[in-house]
Amino acid sequence: MSHKTTVLLIEDEKSICRFITTSLENGEYRVVTASTGAEGLSLAASLCPDVILLDLGLPDMDGMDIIKQIRTWSQKPIIVISARVKEQDKVMALDLGADDYITKPFGTGELMARIRTSLRHTHNKTAASAKIYRAEGLVIDYEKHMVTLDGAEIHLTQIEFKLLSLLSKNAGKVLTYSFIMEHIWGPYIDSNNQILRVNMANIRRKIEANPAQPRYVFTEIGVGYRMLEDENDK
Amino acid sequence: MPHKSQNQYTVFSEHSIIVNILITAGILVVTTATSFLFFFFVPDNYAIIYLLYILALIFIARYTTGYAYGIVSSLIAVVCVNYIFTYPFFKINFTLSGYPLTFAVMLTITLITSTMTSNLCRQAKIIKEREQLLREAELEKMRANLLRAVSHDLRTPLTGILGNSSGYLENTDKLTDAEKKLLVSSIHIDAEWLLNMVENLLTVTRIQGDNLQINTSLESVEEVVSEALLRLKKRFPDSVVNAVVPDEMLFIPMDAVLIEQVIINLIENAIVHSDTIDPIELIVSADASFVSFTIKDYGKGLSPNRLEHLFDGTSGDFEKSSDTHKGMGIGLSICKTIITAHRGEIYGENHDTGAQFCFCLPVTKK
Repeated sequence: MSHKTTVLLIEDEKSICRFITTSLENGEYRVVTASTGAEGLSLAASLCPDVILLDLGLPDMDGMDIIKQIRTWSQKPIIVISARVKEQDKVMALDLGADDYITKPFGTGELMARIRTSLRHTHNKTAASAKIYRAEGLVIDYEKHMVTLDGAEIHLTQIEFKLLSLLSKNAGKVLTYSFIMEHIWGPYIDSNNQILRVNMANIRRKIEANPAQPRYVFTEIGVGYRMLEDENDK
Repeated sequence: MPHKSQNQYTVFSEHSIIVNILITAGILVVTTATSFLFFFFVPDNYAIIYLLYILALIFIARYTTGYAYGIVSSLIAVVCVNYIFTYPFFKINFTLSGYPLTFAVMLTITLITSTMTSNLCRQAKIIKEREQLLREAELEKMRANLLRAVSHDLRTPLTGILGNSSGYLENTDKLTDAEKKLLVSSIHIDAEWLLNMVENLLTVTRIQGDNLQINTSLESVEEVVSEALLRLKKRFPDSVVNAVVPDEMLFIPMDAVLIEQVIINLIENAIVHSDTIDPIELIVSADASFVSFTIKDYGKGLSPNRLEHLFDGTSGDFEKSSDTHKGMGIGLSICKTIITAHRGEIYGENHDTGAQFCFCLPVTKK
C-alpha cells in the first residue's frame, strides 16, 4: 500500500476547500474534507489523518473547542486556517495545542511549506532529537553548548543559549511568548514578557548583522517568535 | 430622542436643586456668622454688615443657576439685617426709614449678577456645543473622504477582475495559452491589491470610537520594523529596503499592528510610486521624547499638487488619477489616522533626489 499522507481539511467554504484540495492533491497528499466541526471530529477519530487543517470559523462549533477536543487524544499536527486577524486568537489557538496557523488569504506554496514543517516536527519528536542546528552559517551545537556564526564563536549567556536552543529545536514553528516564558523561566514567571524581549534583542545583536532585518529569528508581532528552518531538515 | 433628553434634564435639575439650596444656605450661614462677629467686635460699623450680605448675594447669584435662589436670598438678607443687626435688635421693624430702598438695592444687585452669570454659563455651553459640532464635522469629513477614496480605489481593480474574467470565460476557445495566462495573472494582481486594501481598512477598525482610542503597549521598535519588512519582502521580493535602527533597545508605547501597517504603507508607496528600483531607506532615530521613522526613496519625488493633499484621503490630482491604477490616497490617510491616534506626527516632503515621509511617536504615554 502506497502510503500517502492524509490531510483532513475542516472548512465550510466551498471555494477554499476546492483550491486547497486541488493543490494538495497535486502535491501527493490525500485530502478528506469536512464542512462542519462535528463531521471533522468524527473523521479525525476514524481516519487518523497525518495533518489536520482547521478553519476556526465553522458554522456549528468554535474551532478552539475542536482543537481542545482533538488534543485530548491525538498529538497529530493541527494547522489553523483562519480569517481572524486578532493576535489573541492566534495565541489562543497555539496555546491550546495547534502547531501552526496560517491567515487567510495564503498562497498554496506557503500552505505546503507549513504542512511539511509540522509533519517534520512530529517525526522529530519520535526520532532521537538532533544534536546540531545548522542554517545559513549559524550552527548551534547542543551538546558542546556552542554557537558559531560563519565559523566564529558567539558568546551567549545561559538564558540566551536556552532561548536560542528552544527556538532552533522548534525551527519553522511559531512559539508563543507564554510558551517560551514557561520553558525558560518556569511556570511561575509573571505574564510580563519584557524580559523575554530584552533577551531576544540581545541575541539579535549577537547573531544578526542588522537587527532590523534579521535572517535567523523572526518576530510575529503580538504572538511570539519563529526561527529559520534547519538546513538538515530540508 | 427628545423624550430621553428631557428625562436627563429632569434628573439633572433635581440634582442641581439640592446643590443650589445647599450653596445658598451655606453662603448665608457663613455670612450671618461673620456678621455676628463684626456686630460684636466692631459694634459701631453697620455698613460692613450690609456689604457682607451684598457680597454673599453676589456669590449666590454666581454659583447657583436661575434667579429664584438670588431673589429668595436677598429677601432673607434684608430680613436678617432688619431682625438681627438693626435697632431694635431681634425684632422686625419695617418702619425704619429707607428700608424699602435697601431691599430694592439688594434685589437689583442680585438680579444683575444672576443675569450676568447665567449669560456666562449659557455662552460657555454654546461654545462647548459648537466645539463638539466642529469635532464631529471634522470626523465626518474624514470618514466621507475615506469612503470616497475607498470606493474610488476599489472600483479600478474590481473592473479589471470582472473584465479579465469575463474575457476569459467568453473566449475560452479562441485564446492562446499565453493570453489566458496573461488574463489570469492580471486578475491575480488586482485581487492581491484589493486584499491589501482590505487589510488596511481592517487595521483601522482597531481604532475605537470618536476619540481615536487605541490599545498601546510597550513594543520593541526593531521587532515592529523587522516584521513589516518581512511582510513587504513577501509581496515585493525584488525590492530592496535598507533599514537602520539605533543600537540601543527602544521600547515605546504603540499598537504594533497599526504602526506596522504605517511602515508597510509608506514603503509600499515608495516602491510603487517612485518609478525607480534604487534601494529605499528606512531610518529610525530617537531622542529624549520622540522616536522618528524616516522612509526615503530616490525616485521622482512628489508633485506639488500632491504635496498639498497628501493625507486627506484624496490624491491631489483627483481628476487626473481617476483612471490610473492604485492612487495612494487611502493608504496615507490611514497612516495619518493611526499616527494621530498615537499622538505622533507625520509629514511628507521632497528631498534633493526623491521623496521622504517621516513620522514620529512619543516615547512616553501621555
